[in-house]
Amino acid sequence: MKNDTESQWRRDIIKYRHFYLFISPFFILFAAFSLYPVLFSLFLSFMKWNGLTQWKWVGLGNFTSMLYDDILWRSLWNTLIIGLLYIPPMMILAFIFAQVLNAEWLKLRAFYRAALFLPCVTPMVVIAIVFSLIFSSEKGVLNYAIMGVGHMLPFLHLKPIPWLESESWSKTSVAILVVWRWTGYNMIIMLAGLQGIPMEYYEAAMVDGAGVWERVKSVTMPLMRPTFAFCGLLSLLGTVYMFDEIFVLTNGGPGVSSMNFGLYLFNLSFTDFKFGYASCVAYTVAVAVFFITLAGLRITRQREEAK
Amino acid sequence: MLKTFKHHTHSINKITVARISLFACMALASLWFSGCMPGTGEPSVPAVVTPSLHPSGSITVWSWNIAAKSLMRLIPGFNKLYPDVKVNVDMTGAQMQTRLMLSLACGVGAPQVSQLQLTDAPHYIDTGRLADLTPVAAQLRNSFPDYLWENCEKNGHVYAIPWDTGPCAVFYKRDIFQKYGIDPKKIDTWEDYIQAGEEILRKSGGKTKMLPLGLDSLENMYLIILQQVRGQIFDEQGRIAINSKASQEALAIIKEMRKAGICSDVQMFSQEFMAGINDNSIATYPSAVWLAGTIRATTKDFGLGKSRWGVFRLPAVTKGGLHVANFGGSVLVIPAQCNNKAAAWAFIKYALCSRKGQADQYRNFDLFPAYLPAQKMPQVTEQDKFFGGERVGVLFARDISKISKLNITPDWAEASTYIEEALSDWAANGMHSRNFFGKLEIRMQRRLGDPISPQSLRYSENNG
Repeated sequence: MKNDTESQWRRDIIKYRHFYLFISPFFILFAAFSLYPVLFSLFLSFMKWNGLTQWKWVGLGNFTSMLYDDILWRSLWNTLIIGLLYIPPMMILAFIFAQVLNAEWLKLRAFYRAALFLPCVTPMVVIAIVFSLIFSSEKGVLNYAIMGVGHMLPFLHLKPIPWLESESWSKTSVAILVVWRWTGYNMIIMLAGLQGIPMEYYEAAMVDGAGVWERVKSVTMPLMRPTFAFCGLLSLLGTVYMFDEIFVLTNGGPGVSSMNFGLYLFNLSFTDFKFGYASCVAYTVAVAVFFITLAGLRITRQREEAK
Repeated sequence: MLKTFKHHTHSINKITVARISLFACMALASLWFSGCMPGTGEPSVPAVVTPSLHPSGSITVWSWNIAAKSLMRLIPGFNKLYPDVKVNVDMTGAQMQTRLMLSLACGVGAPQVSQLQLTDAPHYIDTGRLADLTPVAAQLRNSFPDYLWENCEKNGHVYAIPWDTGPCAVFYKRDIFQKYGIDPKKIDTWEDYIQAGEEILRKSGGKTKMLPLGLDSLENMYLIILQQVRGQIFDEQGRIAINSKASQEALAIIKEMRKAGICSDVQMFSQEFMAGINDNSIATYPSAVWLAGTIRATTKDFGLGKSRWGVFRLPAVTKGGLHVANFGGSVLVIPAQCNNKAAAWAFIKYALCSRKGQADQYRNFDLFPAYLPAQKMPQVTEQDKFFGGERVGVLFARDISKISKLNITPDWAEASTYIEEALSDWAANGMHSRNFFGKLEIRMQRRLGDPISPQSLRYSENNG
């Protein structure tokens, strides 16, 4: 019986060998570039290894080290603060822009959409140079504007802001850059969401006497909830693994005041070459993010079901 | 029906097992073919460099910024001696050291010669993937200062050759000093320096700060002063020795500077830092000799025959104390995987171990020679018009042998992150110095896994 099954299995493989051949590129690439790194990282989480010398089994040593790693905790805290600083204004702005660009009365809509999406595809190095000029504390455009307002309204006692030089402002500077860069991207997603809402719902609401605000509140917002959830999820992941914006603007400084988790992980791996510990940290945070995301989705679903 | 279902399930399990086996085989095969089975073999034994009278072939050198330009300018002279060696200097400096480390890990892709920061050299030497230069370089030991050479060695073997060094002094603007009646010759200690800074600040109506000292520069200043009082981050055995009287003295001086309001809170090489070179917002730049290159390149009015810059010696911590410290500096190394070590060594020897090679680099690019015989060359000792005819090279070379060596360990980069973060946090939150280094040494011990030195104040305080 067993032999029959095995021979049947072999016959099937030989019979369908062409199909296996056709699908093999995906599996080969997947194995080499996804499965292997993921499994290898898991293995490394229990090792002390600098990439060059013999690796050494440390058991749960890397995990206990995390408890004492102040900079890891600081970077996670910074990640949270940066997320809180940029996600709400970015989502609100993206929604407002999407609403405006969805309006039929607006001329040159394609132009505005492209213009708002442009920051998303602009090379980060260019952005860094421009923003370092904008944020320059003594010569920057932003402080120039603030001082201009200060001259007009002296009772406000406005002073130049040390955007990149101060520990308390560096995260805000990063958040401003991220809002500028990613609002257009989220706007496009929200625009797609808005265009998926049938016009009949708005017409019915108008027949019922709903004004603009009522239509937004009672038709648009509930139907856009899955889109908001999707954008929120992307932003959450984007915050945790954000790298280039911070790397080029502040490099995590001053001190580590703007270092987020992505930059911390990069430094751990490619400056300190602590691949074992970096894998351990990456795995732990990835698992944490996975469960936070899962919890968020479950709460959203429960709310939907309750309605 | 049931039988068929069981048979089907059995087949699926088999197929699943086969697929998993296939994945595993592919993963292992991809490792095998790429030649990267990391961590499973013995640490590689570094190749040894032996001299050759007639090296030939081509070599690639990885370097950055003006250092790379400086090497490029040496190539014609080098080719007169070694016409059969073609040198290609690659100055794509972005993340260069990281790329080098990855190349060393993979066993392929590294250049024949690479530049490294002096402070990173021990970390790379520790990998065992750099060529052993002892047979060709050991006799050069006395031609380089101890504070550089000792960080290029491991277990009595030489793995790197010091290139430039960063003796420190204070670059100042003569016109500002004259305008406010400050005599640079009277600035002997940091206390004098702070007082001069306060006077300039007061007389300029708060417009001119004495020095740029943003949060990101605190660690540099701390290390400069720490060397002046012969302090250490790590002791000779690599144990954490940051909690010391020397550290406290250095911190106290930085605190005085910041409290006096004479520091411009700008990041190093930021817009304001660079603008300060030309305008009157900053009066002095206490830094290493290599900053002269940046100042020369940035100063606008020198072409008009005007020289506003001068240099005075680094203030000492106390009267009669050290006026010297080192900040920066780099080395050249040959990766063990280099396939033309003879040519690579010939180039390093020409660039770094010859009086002309090193002295020319100082004249052209302000890379101060680590090679001691070159410090007596006319290119170094001549008057410098940019600095009003001062013999700036002589000033920087003075007492260079007294510079205190910092014990750099393979953990230096990570330790540096902790020091930078702690100092930045300290300055941003009221500069409360109580037990600052005691807390820092504990944090460093937990993360780096290095023991605390018995010289730590922790033990002397406990005993006392």
